[in-house]
Amino acid sequence: MAENREPRGVVEAELDPVEYTLRKRLPHRLPRRPNDIYVNMKTDFKAQLARCQKLLDGGTRGQNACTEIYIHGLGLAINRAINIALQLQAGSFGSLQVAANTSTVELVDELEPETDTREPLTRIRNNSAIHIRVFRVTPK
Amino acid sequence: MENFRKVRSEEAPAGGGAEGDGPGSGPFADLAPDAVNMRVKEGSKIRNLMAFATASMAQPATRAIVFSGCGRATTKTVTCAEILKRRLAGLHQVTRLRYRSVREVWQSLPPGPTPGQTPGESAASLSVLKNVPGLAILLSKDELDPRQPGYQPPNPHPGPSSSPAAPTSKRSLGEPAAGEGSAKRSLPEPGVADEDRTA
Repeated sequence: MAENREPRGVVEAELDPVEYTLRKRLPHRLPRRPNDIYVNMKTDFKAQLARCQKLLDGGTRGQNACTEIYIHGLGLAINRAINIALQLQAGSFGSLQVAANTSTVELVDELEPETDTREPLTRIRNNSAIHIRVFRVTPK
Repeated sequence: MENFRKVRSEEAPAGGGAEGDGPGSGPFADLAPDAVNMRVKEGSKIRNLMAFATASMAQPATRAIVFSGCGRATTKTVTCAEILKRRLAGLHQVTRLRYRSVREVWQSLPPGPTPGQTPGESAASLSVLKNVPGLAILLSKDELDPRQPGYQPPNPHPGPSSSPAAPTSKRSLGEPAAGEGSAKRSLPEPGVADEDRTA
């Protein structure tokens, strides 16, 4: 974390508004797919699990069920994403398979010195992300 | 819990007994039985892990390496694997998710100023069983079966600076104006894009 910091000549009161350049920007594949779920630490775990379950099961008669969903987690949410995926698999009696991929995501922090507001400094750091594919298989 | 201290903790696969460290063990015994096993714990320092990992992989005899971690060490495990992939191009990856049961034994600290009594008499002991999610990541110099669940092909990208060309120009409209010059925007790893093709 300290490696990315630039040498400060000016005293920076770091307000440090953390800016995710990728916060509003979902990975380029998302727009065409309603079966992408992004896991975070703010929403209740049970609610996220129920939402994934509903996507896989579909409506009461099984309409609109997705054959596969992608669960994405960034940083601390990696654990939660794994938990959700494994819970889905455990509750499916063997009809669901999971496959996980990992990647690195760049995050940008903006630092505004208190003295001179015209000088936003940007700091770049990397974070780990996981993308878990949960898909239905026909039991052999 | 502030009156307790952790005495020991054991980790085992959930739903199974503790596996001995014998031949044929290891999370990827079926794919790479000779892989160097790096067990990432919560307090592990990434610098130390990477030093050992890069040194091991520098030897041509080492064909594969496994990073495994659970609970609080999960993110660190992924980070180590990603750093190694960046340093060493052309590694094939397989990621496996699993639950681990961790049994922790806590003992109560004696409350009085002079714990003169024999410890163990008044020390209450607490055993906690937790089911925590974890993962194991195999990175291999040799090719692996792409049909394995969790397979990720090596990153075809040659250099560290990826070209933020057409795909990001669309999104720049939604970007806040600040930081547009210095923000290094790049695709979240072409490896993720590859997933599209192999899925």
